[in-house]
Amino acid sequence: MVKKKVPDWLNSALWSSSSTTTSSFSYSDTNRFDHHSSTSVSPPIDPPLPPAATRDEQQHPTRHHHNYHPRKPDIKEDKYSKSSIVNDNISNNNSNNSISNNKIHNRKADNTESSAEDISNQALLLTELSRKVINMGELRRIASQGIPDGAGIRSTVWKLLLGYLPPDRSLWSSELAKKRSQYKRFKEELLMNPSEITRRLEKTMGFDNDDAKSESRCVLSRSKITHGEHPLSLGKSSIWNKFFQDSEIIEQIDRDVKRTHPDMHFFSGDSSFAKSNQEALRNILIVFAKLNPGIRYVQGMNEILAPLFYVFKNDPDEEMEACAEADTFFCFVELLSGFRDLFCQQLDNSVVGIRSTIARLSHLLKEHDEELWRHLEVTTKVNPQFYSFRWITLLLTQEFNFTDSIHIWDTLLSDPEGPQDGILLEQWYQVPPFGYKPRLQYWTTMILKTINIEEETLLRVCCAMLILVRRRLLAGDFTSILKLLQNYPPTNISHLLYVANKLRGQPSH
Amino acid sequence: MGAYRADDDYDYLFKVVLIGDSGVGKSNLLSRFTRNEFSLESKSTIGVEFATRSIRVDDKIVKAQIWDTAGQERYRAITSAYYRGAVGALLVYDVTRHVTFENVERWLKELRDHTDANNVIMLVGNKADLRHLRAVATEDAKGFAERESTFFMETSALESMNVENAFTEVLAQIYRVVSRKVLDVGDDSTYFPKGQTINVGSRDDVSAVKKAGCCSS
Repeated sequence: MVKKKVPDWLNSALWSSSSTTTSSFSYSDTNRFDHHSSTSVSPPIDPPLPPAATRDEQQHPTRHHHNYHPRKPDIKEDKYSKSSIVNDNISNNNSNNSISNNKIHNRKADNTESSAEDISNQALLLTELSRKVINMGELRRIASQGIPDGAGIRSTVWKLLLGYLPPDRSLWSSELAKKRSQYKRFKEELLMNPSEITRRLEKTMGFDNDDAKSESRCVLSRSKITHGEHPLSLGKSSIWNKFFQDSEIIEQIDRDVKRTHPDMHFFSGDSSFAKSNQEALRNILIVFAKLNPGIRYVQGMNEILAPLFYVFKNDPDEEMEACAEADTFFCFVELLSGFRDLFCQQLDNSVVGIRSTIARLSHLLKEHDEELWRHLEVTTKVNPQFYSFRWITLLLTQEFNFTDSIHIWDTLLSDPEGPQDGILLEQWYQVPPFGYKPRLQYWTTMILKTINIEEETLLRVCCAMLILVRRRLLAGDFTSILKLLQNYPPTNISHLLYVANKLRGQPSH
Repeated sequence: MGAYRADDDYDYLFKVVLIGDSGVGKSNLLSRFTRNEFSLESKSTIGVEFATRSIRVDDKIVKAQIWDTAGQERYRAITSAYYRGAVGALLVYDVTRHVTFENVERWLKELRDHTDANNVIMLVGNKADLRHLRAVATEDAKGFAERESTFFMETSALESMNVENAFTEVLAQIYRVVSRKVLDVGDDSTYFPKGQTINVGSRDDVSAVKKAGCCSS
């Protein structure tokens, strides 16, 4: 059997040490981008620009709460310290509110001392964000190198990357106001109790003439309820029937919202803070499920929602924080529209569905590391579905600690050819050419175009995860391989992203 | 603990699947049995999770390879691959949520569609510690199990009640079927002692375990 030669860099000692790096290699902002700088993969970052804070104040009327002081982390600002869960503070192990997850690395306490690169990255982002019209290509390029924690930068950048905020800053306040009131209406319409709907229905049908009278006598005017809308009505279209169907989904959502990051005070526990955050997640998921009857709620959506809500809720801007729920909803929709086919059971076996995505991961691995691919899929017969299903559908939120997942998302979301530059959803509904074959071909092309631009980065990171532990995988059997991949070891994330980025080019033969 | 043995020291390897509605406690049954752990706030399982534990049946060491699957309907099409090669199943419902018991029939059908008829099935009513919230009578479940010729047990992963019994009973029953089969038929491809082994993934899985060990290099 002819074996494809493994590229030299795969066998570099760097890789094999990665699985154990965390003990000796403390993950801190100061070295997050070391690997990027030492290679020529990504364009070198310019020297730090002067902080854009003052300029920003002038050019940024809608965001005047923001304090874009690159060197000044949120942790020092009393104004926001009450929540104490701002990204920066994850490192503050003494804070009562800080995340108690012991998986979160003990980052150096003095993260005021960011590296020159980190500061330059932050300065570059701030400069970009302070432009009248933001250059999205440039923003993506910088953000893909990682977004600094703190100062609400990530919250703003993610909203831009997901296409929720338009590049033209002058449109921000009107756009946000529009979307937020739209979400408010969704909530009013969709989270309403059936008896409330019935009551309103009766009102519009003119049954409310003696409402006041009957109410004052505390008598329910039962005879006035139409047959179709009686709670015991068997009619399919009955509001109550719909309600009982929905309640099954809502119970499922409730169960999962309660199980979202049980190790983080932000999401879990009896504090009113955690409760209101859970309520927000619940509202978003219910509204989404009702607006998307073809998908409804799929387990795991809570895990994709969590990072978005966490980042937006921790925006130091009070208005942004207050409207985090509405903003999260729309960003969640944007995010899922890029990945929604993975959640659709009917599409499981189609070219866009999860099976095909997993097959493409397998193909990617074969292209870049055939020896590893062969060991996994031929020798030990580990079906990639057994480990990568969760990796892919939950966008890697379960494989690393929360902070690390967020850093991976910086890169996923800033994919240069990212979601909103892709094919617009409306295009799906355009009339394709007539005739079975041309039509099929047309759709296939469209579909392939879409998936290629949206999932590639994710698949490259997954592939890099395999490559990083290749020595252990090659030495393992079915059981040990699965155990390793289902409990992926703590990893230096910038290193992982570096390797993933390396896979971008043509495979070495 | 004597019951927890080295990974590569076994006579038989059996694949067992945990199925049932979302939130009935499958993952906690698994973690209680394989690691003696329980978490009130465990995350929902997406896709599949996997754990192993070896126990002694008669004078043989039986290694159980237990697959925990996602409960939600949406994931069933995907999880069908996880049934492949399974020789036993714990079909779990929650004694405090009647709907999870009603769905047992659907799970049973799916299981029988995907696995061998000799598959050992145990119906498990979990969360039996929540006595004041009970919604499924023991007698009803027992009756159902008799009609469907499955084994039946009520458990509490929280109180560690019957968890050990439920798993070991399933494994012992599989062992009984296997040893009887080996005597009766001799060449059945589904049940084999080690070396030729049952089709869990492939025969290589098992021999590979013997050769390589775990993470030794």
